[in-house]
Amino acid sequence: MGVGLFQYTVLSVLVFLLGALGLMVRKNTIVMFLCLELMLNGVNILFMALSRHMGNAEGQVIVLFVMAVAAAEAAIGMAVITTFYRNRGGVDVGRAHLMKW
Amino acid sequence: MVINLWYVFFLFLAVLILLSALGVVFLKNPVYSALSLLANLCITAVVYLALMGSPFIAMLQIIVYAGAIMVFFLFVLMLMNLKKGEYEDRMAPWRFLFGLGAVVLFVIQVVVLGGEWKGWVKGGTHGVSIGEISHLIFTRYILVFELVSVLIFVAALGAVALAKKKL
Repeated sequence: MGVGLFQYTVLSVLVFLLGALGLMVRKNTIVMFLCLELMLNGVNILFMALSRHMGNAEGQVIVLFVMAVAAAEAAIGMAVITTFYRNRGGVDVGRAHLMKW
Repeated sequence: MVINLWYVFFLFLAVLILLSALGVVFLKNPVYSALSLLANLCITAVVYLALMGSPFIAMLQIIVYAGAIMVFFLFVLMLMNLKKGEYEDRMAPWRFLFGLGAVVLFVIQVVVLGGEWKGWVKGGTHGVSIGEISHLIFTRYILVFELVSVLIFVAALGAVALAKKKL
């Protein structure tokens, strides 16, 4: 009984699903961003497992790019949240109701 | 029935990853959520290093995620003081558990990296070498690589432009 692709797939799917659950459950915008990072991390685990299973390095290159995009996204997101906090007086998503139908 | 030691190690790390992910979702205090995500990323780096045999991505995960992105999040979290007085007594048992987890992780890292079982670690994994990764980056994915650098530059400029009150 060894650690194969199946176990890594289950782990990555569970991490991804927990991130998606947190994105839906939490109300704090910063914690929602943290859950977004959790989802990206789950995808990274799957990329790494597949790269190792197939024996080529392309999955690891893509993990590199996912990390770079996550860094850019975190920078922009934090700037947006700072502006949101300044204009609305809090980071709760319930305060973003200007375009609510 | 033979129990593979690698399997036990993987199960242990997977349980820690899932517990810290649950902590991100369900802890009330946002700072505890951020620290739980930090633990999650570090344990994932341990998985990359010890089980998948790719130290480059593990190091990058520590530097980029735990070093840069989490500092962003914690900085913004502490910049805006959210809901004081909500986190004094409720999380007391959890704090003890996280401390215990930190001690256990430290022991694991010392054991894995400590050289005594180095042959054991190398015997179980054969990863992709860093040379292959860099060869792919600078030949097939060179355009994507350059575009990512432009993306990060634009994101940094845009973050400053967004967060500034008056340009």
